[in-house]
Amino acid sequence: MREFGYLLRAEWTKFRTLRGQLVAATAAAVLVVLLGAVFAAGNHSSCSEGPKEVACPTPPLGPGGEAVADTFYFVHRTLSGDGTVTARLTSLTGVITYPPPNHDTIVPRVEGLARAGLMVKAGARPGASYAALAMTGTHGVRLAWDFTHEVAGAPGRVSGAAPRWLRLVRAGDTLTGYESVDGHRWTRVGVAHPAALPRSVQVGLFVSSPGDVTVEQGSLGGSIEQLRFTQATGVFDRVSVAGTAAGGDWRRDYVGGHAATDWEKYHRPPGLVASGDRLTISGSGEIAPSTDGFHLEGVLSGLYVGLIVLIVVAVLAVTAEYRRGVIATTLVAGPRRGTVLAAKAVVVGAVGFVAGLVATAVTVPVGVHVLRGNGIYVLPVPLGTELRVVVGTAAVVGLVSVLALALGAVFRRGPVAVIAAVAVTVLPVLLATASFVPEGLSRWLLRITPAAGFAVQQSIPVYPNAVGHHSPVDGYYPLPPWAGFAVLCGFAGLALALAGYLLRRRDA
Amino acid sequence: MEATIEVAGLRKRYGRTVALDGMSFTVTPGRVTGFVGPNGAGKSTTMRTIVGLDAPDAGHALVGGRVYRSLRRPLTHVGALLDAAALSPGRTGRNHLLWLAHSQGLPGHRVDEVLDEVGLSSAARRRAGGYSLGMRQRLGIAAALLGDPPVLLLDEPFNGLDPEGIVWIRGLLRTLAADGRTVLVSSHLMSELEDTAEHLVVVGRGRVVTDAGVAELVAAASDGRVTLRTAARAEAMSVLARAGATVATGARDTVTVTGLPADRVVALLTEHTVPFAEVAAHRASLSEAYMELTRDAVEFRPGEAR
Amino acid sequence: MRRALHAEWTKLATARGTAWLIFGIVAATAALTAAVDATVRCTALGCDQDPTRLSLTGVQLGQAVVAGLAILAAGGEFGTGMIRTTLLAVPRRTTVLAAKATVVAGLTAAAGTVAVLASLLVARLVLPTAGFTAAHGHPLPSLTAGGTVRAAGGAVLYLVLVALIALATATLVRDSAVATGAVLALLYVPPVAVFLVSDPDWQTWLWRFSPMDTGLAILSTTHLADLPLTGWAGLAVTAGWAVALLLPAAALLAHRDP
Repeated sequence: MREFGYLLRAEWTKFRTLRGQLVAATAAAVLVVLLGAVFAAGNHSSCSEGPKEVACPTPPLGPGGEAVADTFYFVHRTLSGDGTVTARLTSLTGVITYPPPNHDTIVPRVEGLARAGLMVKAGARPGASYAALAMTGTHGVRLAWDFTHEVAGAPGRVSGAAPRWLRLVRAGDTLTGYESVDGHRWTRVGVAHPAALPRSVQVGLFVSSPGDVTVEQGSLGGSIEQLRFTQATGVFDRVSVAGTAAGGDWRRDYVGGHAATDWEKYHRPPGLVASGDRLTISGSGEIAPSTDGFHLEGVLSGLYVGLIVLIVVAVLAVTAEYRRGVIATTLVAGPRRGTVLAAKAVVVGAVGFVAGLVATAVTVPVGVHVLRGNGIYVLPVPLGTELRVVVGTAAVVGLVSVLALALGAVFRRGPVAVIAAVAVTVLPVLLATASFVPEGLSRWLLRITPAAGFAVQQSIPVYPNAVGHHSPVDGYYPLPPWAGFAVLCGFAGLALALAGYLLRRRDA
Repeated sequence: MEATIEVAGLRKRYGRTVALDGMSFTVTPGRVTGFVGPNGAGKSTTMRTIVGLDAPDAGHALVGGRVYRSLRRPLTHVGALLDAAALSPGRTGRNHLLWLAHSQGLPGHRVDEVLDEVGLSSAARRRAGGYSLGMRQRLGIAAALLGDPPVLLLDEPFNGLDPEGIVWIRGLLRTLAADGRTVLVSSHLMSELEDTAEHLVVVGRGRVVTDAGVAELVAAASDGRVTLRTAARAEAMSVLARAGATVATGARDTVTVTGLPADRVVALLTEHTVPFAEVAAHRASLSEAYMELTRDAVEFRPGEAR
Repeated sequence: MRRALHAEWTKLATARGTAWLIFGIVAATAALTAAVDATVRCTALGCDQDPTRLSLTGVQLGQAVVAGLAILAAGGEFGTGMIRTTLLAVPRRTTVLAAKATVVAGLTAAAGTVAVLASLLVARLVLPTAGFTAAHGHPLPSLTAGGTVRAAGGAVLYLVLVALIALATATLVRDSAVATGAVLALLYVPPVAVFLVSDPDWQTWLWRFSPMDTGLAILSTTHLADLPLTGWAGLAVTAGWAVALLLPAAALLAHRDP
């Protein structure tokens, strides 16, 4: 162990006494910061009302602090304390306006994540805490709460012949969802725990229908997402609210409502049509975390430049020794070759990590600050996530450096090792995001290559209830952050093991 | 630690080329051992094998009874100069020694001591890329001395040194041996080792040709001829012939005597009061001895592939 | 010049690894095309993929090996002492660079042609399993179709330009590993950066400067109107990069002590 300490110190002395290596590592960090700053400074957004410039509207925030979309038609009354709301849904239909391929007809079809069902919400304000039990267009019954949580109930669709009963029971802060096909035998869907429900809540029926997404290949590669307005209509009867509820008429709110579309103006306005016991509700919108906005990791646009610089530095830490014959001196001074390689890996990895950390720790907060100053809406994330992006990305840079070093020891020729390291780290990202490669392969590339590690950068997760196309081009990785990081760790470890094996076996 | 180098039965091939073919010898402390042979005889490969850089196909090399790769802080056991050109050109000479020192847990001031010892202090803070061949050689020797090791391996340390440098290194080698260190110095020129090495391991084609003391080698190469210069040539010849020597007339007034040592020649001539101007015993030079050996055994044919 | 060419050719042909690199160009190009084309799915309803472009996707990986060939085999000696020997033999330095460029371009053209043909062949074998059949209205790319010939020829030309960019970079920076990093950064970073910029004007502007994006525009046979530049104009941008790097490389080689 003491020997390892000596070798570690020797490798550090070696590294710091070559000015070129120090300059390059510093330059890598500076490049990331500069490119991030230029990029942030060049992004502007402004909004105006007529001739007057106003602050751009920002999406509401959910109870967890995340930006959310919270638009739906709500038919509700006040409930104080505990209670139960029950209703039977006999129909869920919808339209999709002007869908592809020819964009010229309106299609009667219910959007897959359109919802019609029961809701308990802290208030009619967008972003307020809620629990909702609803039938979806194609995904069966879902119990969702506070935007980011969702559990699935029974699958299927509703019709007059096959209605679905829904029941939401409030007991303090706990809401339990039940469903039934006949109103007698009830099945529990799940239990919701909204974070901030006051004693007095709004309870009732709601209908939402998110935009219909189509994806086209972009003209420069990548993909282009298009959203089309949809509307859903749910038909309820046997509606009852038990508990200390306000009587009288239902109150109606188009929560988060927008200016009416042509469809709403000329065909079917959103709202409630009551006919005896039967309540027909039409509505549009989405109740989910919002991904419309700038993802903070986007300011790390210069990362790949810095990464290639550090790959060259790491590769040269070993191939330059081979080229100059210094490797013999190194191995005479440290005949335990595995230990020498480990010492080198620690030094090169630490240099990569520190350069990466300086880069990310400066670029992320500064870039986000500049972007916000320029009127760009940067999606808020918890501090823990921001730290994960900053520290995790730095760790990825460190690990890629170790990988590059190992490839240098395997190939012993600088250019070959640089090509190999770039081909397994930067190229998969390029193919997955900026080329005409089909998306299936893009996802695989970001799962099974060392580039999977870049998943630690993803600040906005894909929630199960979020509508949209979450492709690698938009910064969504197929693996969760730490799984992707583990893949990169595995590759770095494997390459290091191979390098150690070859180093021991070969004559120096 | 008994600081011997023990090389036993080393074999190594590179493809079809045999580099080492049963190389075996032992180097003992307290004297400079020359390791000589023509280019391609296996000197460098043997030295690289001793310090664990090359793995032999068969046989072993031990330093102080241990395999080099098992040594802790190896530079404090063995100092080696293998290839003086192996330097990072961007690093200063001092920093080159500094990382080596750190790899052995040695303090930084040790670097300045060895730099002083090899006379490189003034150039120590210049980039090694600008060093002359002689300066690189001195830096390499400084690196070998860094750990104050009882065993030193120097591969062609005279290369690129000016005459003054050669004198310096000969003195250094003798001093190191006098301290009781084991010193193995390779060279392809025997003349470089003259007056320095006490013992020689002569190699050719990957194996040891001769392993003997310098005195022994010279005696073997010298044929015992004595040259006598005398005005009374005929008288001298008859006296010596009667004593059993083979005599022959040489140029002018010289006689070449074989079969009698010089002191016996002097005694006989004095006894018979034959006047003489000079009696010279012919003593072969180390180079001649080496040429003698290589002519017999080492014929190295360039470009030969077996 | 003829003797200089002959000398450079001999050097390239006898350099360690030239044969491996040529094999690598072909293998990398064909392998990536195979992987990409094996994952496409097209139905009878249609798909938004350009079969010719898909058949030549491997060029994006093959170009890295082309850069390696140019840097290792032709530019490697700038970092070692061997350039001094070369300049003793051929003291006219621009002639040396011109000879190197000619030889490396010729070899790349040959290897690139094989790689492009291999890539097309692989695509013809793999794409039908993805639904690219004439019956579905997606005929396979064929060398009898003008668009495919243009794309294939353009791909070879692009690879030659990449080799020249790499040679010039190696001459400029004199360290083969650093040159490799610089070339790969120049090729691979702008295309990623294009997608990190949200403003479409900036995107197009960046795209027009990216040597890889512009140079590979010639691979497209569909949606041509969506591209900011035509295929040939795109290749001209890449050629502009090659010239912009070769000129200072020649000037530097002429005035620098090697």
